[in-house]
Amino acid sequence: MVRTLTLLLGLGVASVIIFLSLRLLPGDVAQVIAGLQASPERVAALREQLGLNAPLPQQYLSWIGGVLTFDLGNSVVTGSPVAGQILEKMQVTLPLVALSMLVGATIALPLGVFTAVRHGRRDSRALSALGILAAAVPIVWAGLLAIIVFSNWLGWFPSQGFPREGWAAPGRALLSLALPAITIGIVEGAVLMRFVRSATLSALNAEHVRSAMSRGHTRLRALILHGLPGVGLSIVSLLGIQIAGLIVGAVVIEQLFNLPGLGRMLVADVGQRDLLKVQSVLLVLTGIILVIGAAVDVLHRLIDPRMRTATA
Amino acid sequence: MADQQRGSATVPPAGRPQYEKRSGGKRSLITWLAVLVALAVIGTLIFVLTRPDDGANTGTPGEASGSLTVGLTLEPSNLNVRTTPGVALDQVLIDNVYQGLVGLTPGTLDVVPVLAERYEVSEDGLDYRFELRDGVRFHSGTELNAEDVVTSLTETLGDTITAQAPDERTVTIALEQPNSRLLTLLASREGLILEAGADNDLNTSANGTGPYTLASWKQGDSITLRQSADYWGDPATLDTVVFRYIPDGNAAVNATLSGDVDVQTAVLPELSGQFDGNEDFTLHLVESTDVFTLAYNNQRAPLDDLTVRQALSMAIDQDALIAALNGQGKPLGSPITELEPGYRDLTATNGYDPVRARELLWEAGHEILTLTLTIPNHYPPAVSDLLVSQFAAIGVTLEVDQVEFPSWIEDVHANHNFELSFVDHAEAGDFGNYADPDYYFGYDSARVQELYAQALAATDPAQMDDLLGQAATQVADDAVAKWLYNYTPATAVRSGVEGFPMSNTNARINLAGVTVAE
Repeated sequence: MVRTLTLLLGLGVASVIIFLSLRLLPGDVAQVIAGLQASPERVAALREQLGLNAPLPQQYLSWIGGVLTFDLGNSVVTGSPVAGQILEKMQVTLPLVALSMLVGATIALPLGVFTAVRHGRRDSRALSALGILAAAVPIVWAGLLAIIVFSNWLGWFPSQGFPREGWAAPGRALLSLALPAITIGIVEGAVLMRFVRSATLSALNAEHVRSAMSRGHTRLRALILHGLPGVGLSIVSLLGIQIAGLIVGAVVIEQLFNLPGLGRMLVADVGQRDLLKVQSVLLVLTGIILVIGAAVDVLHRLIDPRMRTATA
Repeated sequence: MADQQRGSATVPPAGRPQYEKRSGGKRSLITWLAVLVALAVIGTLIFVLTRPDDGANTGTPGEASGSLTVGLTLEPSNLNVRTTPGVALDQVLIDNVYQGLVGLTPGTLDVVPVLAERYEVSEDGLDYRFELRDGVRFHSGTELNAEDVVTSLTETLGDTITAQAPDERTVTIALEQPNSRLLTLLASREGLILEAGADNDLNTSANGTGPYTLASWKQGDSITLRQSADYWGDPATLDTVVFRYIPDGNAAVNATLSGDVDVQTAVLPELSGQFDGNEDFTLHLVESTDVFTLAYNNQRAPLDDLTVRQALSMAIDQDALIAALNGQGKPLGSPITELEPGYRDLTATNGYDPVRARELLWEAGHEILTLTLTIPNHYPPAVSDLLVSQFAAIGVTLEVDQVEFPSWIEDVHANHNFELSFVDHAEAGDFGNYADPDYYFGYDSARVQELYAQALAATDPAQMDDLLGQAATQVADDAVAKWLYNYTPATAVRSGVEGFPMSNTNARINLAGVTVAE
């Protein structure tokens, strides 16, 4: 109950921030719609028609009122419903984010534990250095490299694009998401790996793990049985935070790999100053991230019995 | 971490070693099972991911003999030819889906009859008479009549012309004063004929008379055209044409090289090398009316001083600029390109002469000068970098202010709040901007305005060409702006594609006669 309230409050505050910060952008959608040759009268008429002359609080209320009745409105530039557009673009972005997470976790979990267990040895140091390097790589550059190696040289994956049939062609759709997902997955996975490593390291030195070892468990066994559950907990909450990062990363990667997803749509809409659409999309994204945060919290509680009684 | 320790400290006493050992065995079994399952999932995923690779190319272009995929950069924001400005829409829909009474011969700006069988212009240039072609049908199935034409033209040009239909097959247009650009106008966006009685949503659908129908528009991705079943003229040569929008230049080249695109327009200069030695593709330089214009704010000091403007113009080495574009441009000395009436080779006027430029600046009393260039951020930085160094050579510090295009519209175009500006003036026959003192150049020359008005009123093409040529010469002498280059973008065409238009494709792509070999 309290949780739902904080969530709604968070969304409310976010909506105000989104609305106001977008109003700071210079440029006028009416001018963009009317074009360079349009007369000032036509631009003025358009502004009036689009409701851009109304005072800001009124503009905000009419937007948020629509959102509350589950009506995200229509794009002023294309005239098509915003909700439909979001749903369509989600079909690319959500699978991309999910796949990237999968790739990231598959890399980070085993390698993170491995480097922790073999802490101080040469292979572990080499892997850690590689991890730091990968985490420092800008995602665009990683994407360009991935295209050159996996697509241009090896020819394993398509370098760009998404089938026009969408998920009606599931094989090709997955294939076209593979390289972008691997790119984001490796970079984000490298960040995650360092976290897993340090969490595992502290677990290895934790008293309960050491006491398990003293009871005759091998180091690895003690770690798996007693250390990793705790590590798992902290990783679940980190994954929640990372999803936000993944969505942001998707904006860049969608542009590079020419994927018709949410990120590319956002960039285009900001360029056209279709603010009504942009603010609705941002609010939906904020909502998703908040809900994921709440879900992680709940998940935490389910995994960790100590938390169940901790708060109301 | 401390928390973790404290919390877990309660665990060990709860279980006795022996008990733990057994359940531990089970748990580790579960862990290994989980790892196995995860590996299996990943394995299947990799299998699924790689397997369809063999069949991946089926369904994509090149498979059906009559299908062509064209890569474009800029997507229209919607399909409404009545309210949405910009060449992105013209490029795809004019000629192919929508038509006018007249059109342009592909590759030129020459006007030819299209929906009109023939037309006559009166001696004084005030009356036009068009006879409509028989058997023209809109894609909706309705037959075209004179009423559709009158309704359409009144909607777009009603302020300047009076269109009437004396009978079902004839349309007359009356002008108050002669306008030598009227036919060009009728051949472009303003002249498109729509069905008067149709109620389709122009934003998302199109009901024209052209050889292709609009099959679908996938926003943020592509527009697909299909051959029209009962076209009045020679039927379309392709079954399906897909225009794919790829805003990122790298992705566009990759799409082309990997076979997703048959023709890629406007390949970025810095990427054109990727087609070197590739036998599957030919790169063509396409003529255009795009003039990359370094505009001076003629109203603002020190740019209101002719000497300063001349000096700035002389600082610019066009050959170096064009070399930086991998040769994808032609030098230009006035705003009128070779494709348009009134073209004169004026590259010698205020041509490259940094020594003289410096002298002129000293004469004008500007040993040191700092100027700001406002440039939309969608242009690659290569050109503005060169401008900075070329201006530095004559003692001018150029500060580059990169802005988003909507900001440019507001600051430069609407509020004239700038010193130097860089944009592409792509429209054909846009010389009128130099005869409009309220345009953002702020150029107010009575002589140019007079010449332009006379050129508009001229009824003889040769006379119009002469008058526009004089006006262009005056504009060049006055160093209103520096016309950096006439962009000739590179188009990559896959072998087997024949007849793709090679001129002015930034503005319109007429697909008539384009074929794809098996």
